[in-house]
This record gives sequence, structure tokens and C-alpha cells, in this order.
Amino acid sequence: MFRGSIYVGAFKELKSLFDHIKSRGYEVIGPKLEGSAIRLKHLSDFAEIPYGFGDEQAPGRYRVVEDGGRFRNGPDSPKRLLYPPELLLFTVKPDLSIEYPSHEFRKTALFGIKPCDLAAIRIMDDVQGALGDQYYLQMRKNLLLIVENCIEPGDTCFCSTMGTGPIAAKGFDIAYTRLEDDLVLFQPGSDLGVDLLSELRLEPASDEVIDRFRAAAEEASSKARAEFSLENLPEVLEVGVDAEAYKKIAEKCFGCANCNMVCPTCFCFDIVDEPELDGSAKRIRVWDGCHSYSYAQVAGGHFRKSLHARYRHWVLHKFVYWIRQFGTFGCVGCGRCITWCPAGIDIRQVIKDVLREVEMKCKR
Amino acid sequence: MQEIVKTPLAPIPARIVEITPETPDTKTFVFEVEGRLAEAPKPGQFTEIYIPGVGEAPVSICECLGDGRIAQTVRSVGVLTDYLFKLKEGDRIGIRGPYGKGWPLDRLEGKDVLIVAGGIGLAPLRGVIRELEKNRGKYGKLTLLYGARTPSLLLYRYEYDRYRAIPNSEFLLTVDHADETWKGNVGVVTQLIPKARIDVEKTIALICGPEIMMRFTIKALSEIGFKDNQIYLSLERRMKCGVGLCGHCQLGPYFVCKHGPVFPYWLIKRYFWVDEI
Repeated sequence: MFRGSIYVGAFKELKSLFDHIKSRGYEVIGPKLEGSAIRLKHLSDFAEIPYGFGDEQAPGRYRVVEDGGRFRNGPDSPKRLLYPPELLLFTVKPDLSIEYPSHEFRKTALFGIKPCDLAAIRIMDDVQGALGDQYYLQMRKNLLLIVENCIEPGDTCFCSTMGTGPIAAKGFDIAYTRLEDDLVLFQPGSDLGVDLLSELRLEPASDEVIDRFRAAAEEASSKARAEFSLENLPEVLEVGVDAEAYKKIAEKCFGCANCNMVCPTCFCFDIVDEPELDGSAKRIRVWDGCHSYSYAQVAGGHFRKSLHARYRHWVLHKFVYWIRQFGTFGCVGCGRCITWCPAGIDIRQVIKDVLREVEMKCKR
Repeated sequence: MQEIVKTPLAPIPARIVEITPETPDTKTFVFEVEGRLAEAPKPGQFTEIYIPGVGEAPVSICECLGDGRIAQTVRSVGVLTDYLFKLKEGDRIGIRGPYGKGWPLDRLEGKDVLIVAGGIGLAPLRGVIRELEKNRGKYGKLTLLYGARTPSLLLYRYEYDRYRAIPNSEFLLTVDHADETWKGNVGVVTQLIPKARIDVEKTIALICGPEIMMRFTIKALSEIGFKDNQIYLSLERRMKCGVGLCGHCQLGPYFVCKHGPVFPYWLIKRYFWVDEI
């Protein structure tokens, strides 16, 4: 068995993989139906993964349906695990000494995350990793990544435009593809992946199966496309800094920061103080988002009071500034910000509108 | 396995050793740090001041007094600063830093220095004035143009005689609105620029004040021949973490806390004029 090669097995081999991972002492986190959404949760049994369920996703719309289809991303991303919404940084004691918390870092497997989320983890590696977030680095060190390739992307997906999916290229331990109900393709991407897959009953994929996989991948790729390309995108967006499109969006946007919260790469945080009765205080890191009113507010002033400026900052950060800060786009095309926007704002459309405005301006 | 997780965001204790009232809403605190700061603070950098149970706020450093003592001028405008104003000499607070890039003292050597400050914007420049006074031979002429909204809002009035006594210097003051005590210039600080004797070719300008004041100052300096790379300015943003992690202070691709708060003007020019960027 070699890294990068493709092997096939029956659906029960996927369960067998899950069980092997469990038996090696991993805490397994993966998709689980909870309430009316598919979340990323602790899994004690393979049967908890809602295979056979699909979803309907559109701007501002999410429904889980039991239709034998293939579910996509729910609202949770791996960010939740690696960069928790709330994290105790330290406690300041009454004498101003610092007490750091200790955390239990267990070997953890992310089972069945999508290629876009894998890409998001790699982006987080460049952000939290490079900036030395110790909690992130400890979690990351213990992380096993089992990725499910998408052959039926949803209507809000645009991973192929962002170059992150629908098929994972690298950075995983194992990638698998449910090509048919009882035909699963497995691809090891690390030595550990090879080791785990060696325990399954698999055989090398035939040319015929690989051809079918390629065709399915191609079809998926053409579906997960936005109507803009990345070519010169940062430069053109900067030219369009005054675009009316942002002002139009501000008429719909609530400034709720849902998009920031569901985004798998948004990293902004606030620190809040929680006073204790003994005079000590906990300093807690909490997610914050550039759409919230207070984000750029200072005592006695406000640097981004208008909603359109806050929305514009989000677009420019993802598609322009991120490249200069960390060397990649800050967007993986997962589409969560579109699905989970209560106003149904579609970032693909906004970018298209800004690009069109710039084009018209240049023609004049 | 249990692991202790540390962060660079923890404050170290400091004692308030001196409090000087400056204006009705401004005081200068001298903090004596117990232990060591990350590095020796430079004028133009800032620290995060922390009070347990209240929170943190970024405050610029106006002067390093040696022996772990730093002077910082604070205006009472928010939750943290209001609370700080209730503290007395001897009380302890938390502090971390210094953060960011300070004024480019290296670039000022052998040059004339023009300082244009508005309101509390003089605070981060006080350390520069002190450096120029102390090592007078290293630098050319000092021109200090300072304005405030009213005479009562002028900072460091007890220092002015000392500023005027600096050899090879010029110090002009103005207020937007005069009162009966005021005999000097009335008008915005940019109106002082034509009154000063400035040898543009050999001058580096340092600007700090409200953003609108800095915009007008840059315009006025450009009109008399200043090139973009002769101008430095200090920006205010919401510098929550101080180390380029939390995102709040972004100006274009820059984290003001890390890449600034003092920027060469040419570096941020394209963003500086875009409202609410």
C-alpha cells in the first residue's frame, strides 16, 4: 500500500476504519444529526454518522432530509475544536499573579470532514500555528484527519473556484470517497493513513473504477464553482473599494456576525473578564466577528460604524488582505456564510457585482 | 495528558508611583513595573493596562524614565480608564508590552524634526521631545506645533518653558476656541505650518492627533513640498491583543498594533484616505 494510491472496499470497511481508529484510543469527532442540523460532535459509534441523510442548502436556508443523499457541511467547522468559541486563557489572582489552566489533549480524529474544511485547517495552521497559539498547536499535534471527498457538492459550495475541493489533494491522513452505496475509495495520505488502511479489506482500484471516480470528481468540480475567477481578484477588488454593491448589501445585512461564526477560518477574538468572588478574574478568549457593531469601536470613537464598511472589510480581508498577511486566500469556498446568513446574502454574488462595477468603471 | 497552556497575553504587576492631573479628563501615571517588560519601551509604542475584573485598554507610552518606570498619559473615556482614574499612588495594576513600532529615532539623526500634534496626540511624542532635548547634537532643528480644542485641554503646560529653552527649536501653540486667559493663536494646528520656519528638504515630520487633523496636516505638508517618505504618523485603532492575533485593529492588511501604531505615511497612504476601510 502506498501513499496517494487509491484502493477500494465495501461500505463496511468504512465502519471497520472507524472502529480501528477508536481501538487505537482516538477520540472521534464527526458529523452527527443533532436537532435539525448535522453538527460536528463526539461519536461513540459509526452508526451515529447520518449516512443516508442529505441536506438542502441555499442562501439563508438549511434543511436536513432523509433522502438517501449525501449531506454536506453543517454549521460547525473544525475551528470549533481547534480554536474553541470560548477558552480560558488564565486567571489573574488577587495578588496579580497568573494561574494558567491545564488542558487534557487527547488523540483526536476528525472523521468525515470535507476537503474545504481540510483546507481551512491548513489555513489555520498558517494563522494560529504561525502566531504560536499553544492550545491550537497542542490540539493540532494530536489530530488525525479522515476526509470525505464530495461528489455531490451543495448549492452554496464554491470550493472548486477556491481550489480547495471537491476532492482533497493533500494534507490528510486518509481521504475516502463514497462512489456508490457499497463502493468506497480509500486514499492514504500519510504513513499513519497507510498503517490504518492496511488493516482493512481493500484492493487496488481498477482503471475502470478510477475512471468513474475521475468523471464523478470532474462533474462535482464543475458544480462547485462560483461565477468569478481568482485571476487578479485581489487587485480588482481593491480597485472596487468604493463599489455601490457593498452599500446595497448593507440594506439587507443585519450585522449579526453569523457568517464570522460559521466561517472555518475567521480568527478574530475578544477577551472578556469574568470576576470571581475571591477577587481573582478569569480572562476568557471568545470569538468575535468584524460584522458586529463593537468590532472596530474604541472608547470615544468608531472606525467602522457603517454596516457596508464592515461587510466590505470581511470581503477584503478574505480575498485581499489575507494573502498579504498569510500568503493564501482566507476563504475556502465552503459556503457556510451563504447558507447561515439570515438575510440570505450570497458572497459569490457580492463579488460578482463588485467585479462588474469595476469593469463598467474601467470602460468609461 | 494534562498540559499547561500559556499565552503572551498575561499582564505583569505594576505599581502606580505618581499621578499628575493634566486636563479635566486627563492624567499622567507613572507605573513602576514589578519584574521585566518584554523589551525596553520606546516612544510611540504602547502597553495594555489591565485592572482585574474590569478589563484592558491600550495606552501609548509617553516617556521611559528608567528603572522599570514608564509615564503614560491617559484620558478617561471608557470603562477601564474611568476605573484607573479612581486609583491612587501605591495601587497596583497589570501591564503588558511594550507593543508595536515606535517613532523612527534612527531616521531623525542629522535631520530637522517637525512635530505636529493635536490634543492628547502630544502624549506619544513627549518621549521624542525628551530624546531630542537630551541628545541635542544628534538632531537638527526641532519645530513643535501643538494645538488643542481649548486652552484647558493643552497637555503638559508645566513643560512648555522647558520646550522653549531647547536650543535650535521653535514651539508654536494654538487652540480652536480661546477663552479669556488665552493670548495666543486661535485656529486649527495646520494654520501654524506657514508660521513656522521649516527647511522642508532636511525635515522629517511626525504627526499624531485625531485622524481628521492628521489628514489636513498631511495635505498642508504635501503642499509645501514634503514627500510621502518624510512623514510618519501614529494611528489609533482597537488594539485589543497588541500582538497581531485578535484582528480588531486591522487597517488594510496591516495590524496596527504590530505593524504600527507609528507608520511611514507612504506605507498606508492608499488606505488612509478611504473612509471606514
